[in-house]
Amino acid sequence: MEKVQQVQAQALEEIKACEDLQQLQQIRVTTLGKKGPIQSLMTMMKDLSPEEKPAFGQEVNECKKAVAAAIEAKMAVLEKAAMNRKLEEEKIDITLPGVPFRTGTLHPLTLISQEIEDLFIGMGYTVAEGPEVELDFYNFERANIPADHPARDMQDTFYINPKELLRTHTTAIQMRELEKAHGQLPIKVICPGKVYRRDDDDATHSHQFMQAEGLVVGENITLTDLKGTLQFMADRMFGKGRQIRFRPSYFQFTEPSVEVDVSCHICGGKGCPVCKGTGWIEVLGAGMVHPNVLEMAGFDSTKCSGFAFGVGIERVAMLKYGVDDIRNFYINDTRFLKMFDRFD
Amino acid sequence: MRMSMNWLKEYVNLDGVTPEALAEKLTIAGLEVEGIEKVAEGTNLVIGQVLTCENHPDSDHLHVTTVNVGDEVLNIVCGAPNVQAGQKVIVSKVGAVLAGGFEIKPAKVRGVESNGMICSLSELGVDKKAQTEEQLNGIYVFDDEAPVGETRVLEYLGLDDTILDIGLTPNRADCNAMWNLAKEVGAVLHREVTWPDCKSASQIGTPGNFKVASKTEKCPVFVGKVVNHVKVGPSPKWLSNYLHAYGIKSINNVVDISNFVMVETGQPLHYYDLSKLPHHEITVVDDVEMTMQALDGQDYEIKKGDLLITTGGEPTGIAGIMGGEESKIDESTTSIFIEAAVFNAVSIRNTSRRLGLSTEAAMHFTKGVEPMAPIKAVDRSVQLLKELAEADGFEENVLVGTIEDPVKTVSETLTHCNTLLGTEFTMDQVLGVLKDLDLNPVQDGDCFTCTIPSYRTDLNIREDIDEEIIRLLGYEDLKTTLPTMEATAGQLTDRQAMRRNLRSSLNGLGLSEVITYTLVSQKAIDNALMPLGEAVALAAPMSEERKYVRTSLIMSLLECLAYNQNHKNENVNLFEISNVYAVNTQQERLAIVMSDSLQNSKLNRIDIRSDFFAAKGVLTETLRRLGFAAERLSFKENDQDVEHFHPYRSACVMLGNQLLGVLGEIHPVLAKELGIGKAVYGEFNLELLLASKASKVKFSAINRFPAVHRDIALVVREEVKAEQLMKAIKAAGKRMVKQVEVFDVYQGEHVESGKKSVALSITYQSEDHTLTDQEIQDVHQTVLARLEKDCQAVLRG
Repeated sequence: MEKVQQVQAQALEEIKACEDLQQLQQIRVTTLGKKGPIQSLMTMMKDLSPEEKPAFGQEVNECKKAVAAAIEAKMAVLEKAAMNRKLEEEKIDITLPGVPFRTGTLHPLTLISQEIEDLFIGMGYTVAEGPEVELDFYNFERANIPADHPARDMQDTFYINPKELLRTHTTAIQMRELEKAHGQLPIKVICPGKVYRRDDDDATHSHQFMQAEGLVVGENITLTDLKGTLQFMADRMFGKGRQIRFRPSYFQFTEPSVEVDVSCHICGGKGCPVCKGTGWIEVLGAGMVHPNVLEMAGFDSTKCSGFAFGVGIERVAMLKYGVDDIRNFYINDTRFLKMFDRFD
Repeated sequence: MRMSMNWLKEYVNLDGVTPEALAEKLTIAGLEVEGIEKVAEGTNLVIGQVLTCENHPDSDHLHVTTVNVGDEVLNIVCGAPNVQAGQKVIVSKVGAVLAGGFEIKPAKVRGVESNGMICSLSELGVDKKAQTEEQLNGIYVFDDEAPVGETRVLEYLGLDDTILDIGLTPNRADCNAMWNLAKEVGAVLHREVTWPDCKSASQIGTPGNFKVASKTEKCPVFVGKVVNHVKVGPSPKWLSNYLHAYGIKSINNVVDISNFVMVETGQPLHYYDLSKLPHHEITVVDDVEMTMQALDGQDYEIKKGDLLITTGGEPTGIAGIMGGEESKIDESTTSIFIEAAVFNAVSIRNTSRRLGLSTEAAMHFTKGVEPMAPIKAVDRSVQLLKELAEADGFEENVLVGTIEDPVKTVSETLTHCNTLLGTEFTMDQVLGVLKDLDLNPVQDGDCFTCTIPSYRTDLNIREDIDEEIIRLLGYEDLKTTLPTMEATAGQLTDRQAMRRNLRSSLNGLGLSEVITYTLVSQKAIDNALMPLGEAVALAAPMSEERKYVRTSLIMSLLECLAYNQNHKNENVNLFEISNVYAVNTQQERLAIVMSDSLQNSKLNRIDIRSDFFAAKGVLTETLRRLGFAAERLSFKENDQDVEHFHPYRSACVMLGNQLLGVLGEIHPVLAKELGIGKAVYGEFNLELLLASKASKVKFSAINRFPAVHRDIALVVREEVKAEQLMKAIKAAGKRMVKQVEVFDVYQGEHVESGKKSVALSITYQSEDHTLTDQEIQDVHQTVLARLEKDCQAVLRG
């Protein structure tokens, strides 16, 4: 019996002292193996009396279990330590930069255009487009712009021949949409697109630019509907709480016509360099569709009315992002384009 | 329009009205005041008399003066060439602040003490245009009556005036006339407006023999009047001051009257020296080509179509723009002929523009002259010539055409007005506005009828009246509502949706969108890729660079790349979606240009080069996402364009059997010419995508049976294409081949010359059972056999 305890104590001592996984494996083999001390204890069984045998056997089994358990426990400790050492060796400098993935950007004019399209789609408008090489007929005639109007001069418009030109405003799309409706109400369209004017390019002028125009025709459409619609747009484009202001103006295709100012999104209306101290920024032109325009497109102007508005996409982008030179939009310097790659 | 507050007072009582308050009211009513300026500015001014004037000892142009300013005598150094002893002059004393904030301080000028300054009009901020040559070149000299010691100098000069600079919308050209503008002022101030009483003043005179005629419909009306006696002399101060304020130089009483009446009525006038007209006859023509000298002394080239005034067959004025030199009014003039005619606006605009001659008269004609203006102007001329130029010896008016007041009425109902505007105005409010505007409203129940004055040519329909009502009652209180109508579905068209999907996919793959100019040069047209047809050319381009509507996007994108590379921007990977045009046709296209790397990081050992294969991957992935699987695309030898592309690194991209576009490396010769590095370019016809059926997103069960991979290395002839090998494998393996990938292509050592080794990984998988070893072996053998048969491919030993 003492012998068993002695074997067990010695084995446990060895296990305790062991700090190496391989060595522990070795201990397992030597202590629990066929030629190991515990096995040799078993061989002592045959010299015992039958009365002593069961107790001794049980004693040896206990010893074997205890030693095996100690090895398992030590094994777990050492394995964990080994894993920790391995992990430590795999240490990285987490302050090194991440992989610099590059995503592409939408052009800022596309961003503004889509924003406008989406907010009007939300109000039940469809998005309409038309040709940039346009007929004088849709660009001017149908828009109630008489033949002797200065805008129809070769000096201001890129004519191709007396009948064709590069459209000077997206009003041309509206005129096509009115005709397409064949007198059917209602009409609710938003018309974005490129337009062209015979201007020299400088910081604030561009011979090519983008507009988006909206048109609603129905029964009893009022000037207050126009104001409400533009208020909604101003809130979405320039932030909640923007005020809008109408000022009398003149366009051939609307009557009454208004210029629409939005309270300055930079200073909130107190006055700053962006709004030239006035607290207001001129953003849109708008008005009630001129009865002549409705009649020419086959509508009975005594039975319906409508409103139209137009906004310069560059103008909005310049205001919203603080861009100071319109030419930036067409130079496409990648350093410029990258400035617009955020969700805004 | 430059509106002088002093001048305005001739017609409206402005007591208690500041320029700022009036500006605000006019702006709100649609006459936008763009600027408020003082005609002259200066504090601490006094009228002084130069007592002595000596040359400065240390200067060849300065003078040392003593000036009596009433209560003291000041020492002043003056640099003006025209200063002389005895002159009465404007003195700004120490402490004065002049135009532009210039402050007068005591100073020593080259050793001589100077306490103040003798002023020119420019130093008071007077517009250079309103000054004579003499005034521009030196100090201002008063006449002898000027009271020395007078401190209200600007008032004495009549320069204590404020100008409102009003930006007029084209429909309100009538407000280029002071009379009409005064009516507008009256309406916003609710004050009465009185025009000078000169009605029918020209209905006097004896019959004469002066004849007028017009040989062109571009001059439908011509009123003429002979005045056999006038006395030319200086203008009264008020007259020259009003003209100065407006921006017209004072010349003499007679010429000044013609200009004054023009600004009052909006009708350009021309006064001829009657004695210098060799024939008592004037004919307006528009069919002459010649050179003529106008009264600015310059020669102008007259072409057919230009309106010309002739007398006895000889030209004497560019009609509506500028008179001729010979018949100009001067000090010796004693009799005049008055011209008040109507000339066609477009014709005047064209001539004025072509000659680069933009005069006040041309401006008025171009913007529009009201029908009654000619007679108003002649009436007023007669009145003023009598008052200010001792005019006498009038002959009867001579006339071409007829002048009739186009009595025009417009009716509107209160109901319609409020419905259109969304307002709740009362009849009293509405009638009040219309009366303020002199529209003479007459009410009949819900209806009111306006009789429109001749100068309001902009008021023709009821909506015009509604606008008058809202602009004067103010937009400020307008409510906000939204249209009430049946619901409509807002949506994008297929084209718009596709465009957005393209952008989204390309963005995700690292390409940025650009927008470039539509108008391009001849060179860009010559270099078009897949040109759509004959280019659309502008009739009158502004430059050679912007002459045509582009027929392809290639040059625009390559120029954009060149710009960026010139500015040292690396990894330029761009796309553009745009229409291209040709005569009678248009096409929407996608263009991509890629250079350097798409993704790279030295640190992370990543470098996805922007080469042909990256571009091909971008394109196939984008098209796949749009519903055009890679199987529907093929990349064929480039037979479209080998001028712009590397002939061996470019391809025609086919969708089915139709040409979608061309993709490839830019030809090194072209790249060099454009100053760009290695780049890949592709341009694709989006109309073809729109016209082709895109596959729908569809669920299929996830395959739960194991896949088996077999890698093979094949030796084939150099010219065998990877696609042939993959097709052979798929054809042989049928549905059991799930995927084939090329993972290596090798030529060189251990491979016979003229051949190459292609390594492929084949994935076998069944959709309904686990493949047995035998099945896999069988199908693999079939594949290898087919490869050998179709492509003479042998397994690499």
